Amino acid sequence: MSRPELTGHASLFYNEKEARKYDSSSRMIGVQREITERAVELLRLDDSKPSLVLDIGCGSGLSGQVLEERGHVWLGCDVSRDMLTVAKEHEEDTKVLQSTGDLMHHDMGSGLPFRPATFDACISISALQWLCYSNSAAQNPRKRLTRFFSSLYTVLKRGGRAVLQFYPETAEQAVLISETATKVGFAGGVVVDYPNSAKAKKHYLVLSFDRSLAPRRGALGTAEQDQKQQHVTVGEALGSNKGKKQPPRKKKGIKTKEWILHKKDAQRTKGKDVRPDTKYTARRRRGKF
Amino acid sequence: MRLLTHNALRNNAAAAKGKGFPLRITATEVEVKDSCPFDEHRLVFVEGLLSTLDWSALIEAASQLGIPTLPPVLTEDLAEDPEFLEALHHVLMNVHLIQGILTCPATGREFPVRDGIPNMVLEEEDCEHVRY
Ligand SMILES: C[S@@+](CC[C@H](N)C(=O)[O-])C[C@H]1O[C@@H](n2cnc3c(N)ncnc32)[C@H](O)[C@@H]1O
Repeated sequence: MSRPELTGHASLFYNEKEARKYDSSSRMIGVQREITERAVELLRLDDSKPSLVLDIGCGSGLSGQVLEERGHVWLGCDVSRDMLTVAKEHEEDTKVLQSTGDLMHHDMGSGLPFRPATFDACISISALQWLCYSNSAAQNPRKRLTRFFSSLYTVLKRGGRAVLQFYPETAEQAVLISETATKVGFAGGVVVDYPNSAKAKKHYLVLSFDRSLAPRRGALGTAEQDQKQQHVTVGEALGSNKGKKQPPRKKKGIKTKEWILHKKDAQRTKGKDVRPDTKYTARRRRGKF
Repeated sequence: MRLLTHNALRNNAAAAKGKGFPLRITATEVEVKDSCPFDEHRLVFVEGLLSTLDWSALIEAASQLGIPTLPPVLTEDLAEDPEFLEALHHVLMNVHLIQGILTCPATGREFPVRDGIPNMVLEEEDCEHVRY
């Protein structure tokens, strides 16, 4: 599948035709709903206390719909006027003409146009990756990401959270995004759902102000009870570890005795010449003098 | 666009130097509709808003939309009066600017509102040097 982000500006890609197609595909509606529900779960909003939530790249309002059902008030921003027009029509469609949502035409890469400490929370569903591409010579992805995250840091209330689901094209993009978020002061990291499925895999950047919170536990707190899904956190641990380079996480589980024995076995079955297993197998060697 | 949204909007273009609030409203079409009915849930919501609302900006904006009835100061008594909170909720959620212009008080830049949607798009050079 080719990436729409490579075809130019989002407002050109999400034109009237595409906006309608997007909004009327039941498959799309189902997928976006499921992602948003997961994002809202990671936001840990208290549904008994309605929050004011910013929805970035709100599109035709599919993500806002989920917030709405839970009684939250939301403000959707999108760079595509055609997507917003479809969102507006929805509002007018509902027979009761009721909605807790409001809409704004805006490019997140130019920084959010709000007063400080305005929103209780922020979500963004399938939009953030657009900031990794430049649509003109003047646009610099790094600058736009920095501007976006530092403005997000300002407009969120202290104690608020942001959960941004995105589709990185490469591992570097995921790192660029999460690093930029931590550089402006956010704590948090990336949660990956279904890491082993190319199709179902989803990245959620979970951001908060709580630097005392161990991001891994924090981000995975809800995941442990959920047997169906598998989660992995990538990116640096934040806050107190800032600046210190952490060894890649993989190394921890790997090269254990079991793993080495398993590898040796596998090699043997392939008919390779492998040294016998002894009590010294997988022991750490002492450093040289 | 709701007045709740207007109360949050600020022109953050570099030229506004952090003084792009509140945006002045020139209204050509305003609609009052019961788009978000009041209930207990909503009461909790407005109570939560009281600490973050900019009251003088709200009074000004409401009067620019033809609603001159808000009290000049938000007293503690009012903050606990459910009837007042319901009226406030109505002003924040049910009054919609459909067509008009938002003008930045610092730079005079105009942001059009069309079909209820404000256009806050900035050019790259307008936000180049913004510091948050
Ligand atoms: C895949 S759609 C998702 C829409 C909606 N969040 C949902 O879940 O259905 C991505 C949206 O991001 C918007 N978008 C892309 N770049 C943007 C930017 N720089 N600022 C704001 N919105 C942007 C697009 O216009 C599009 O509506």
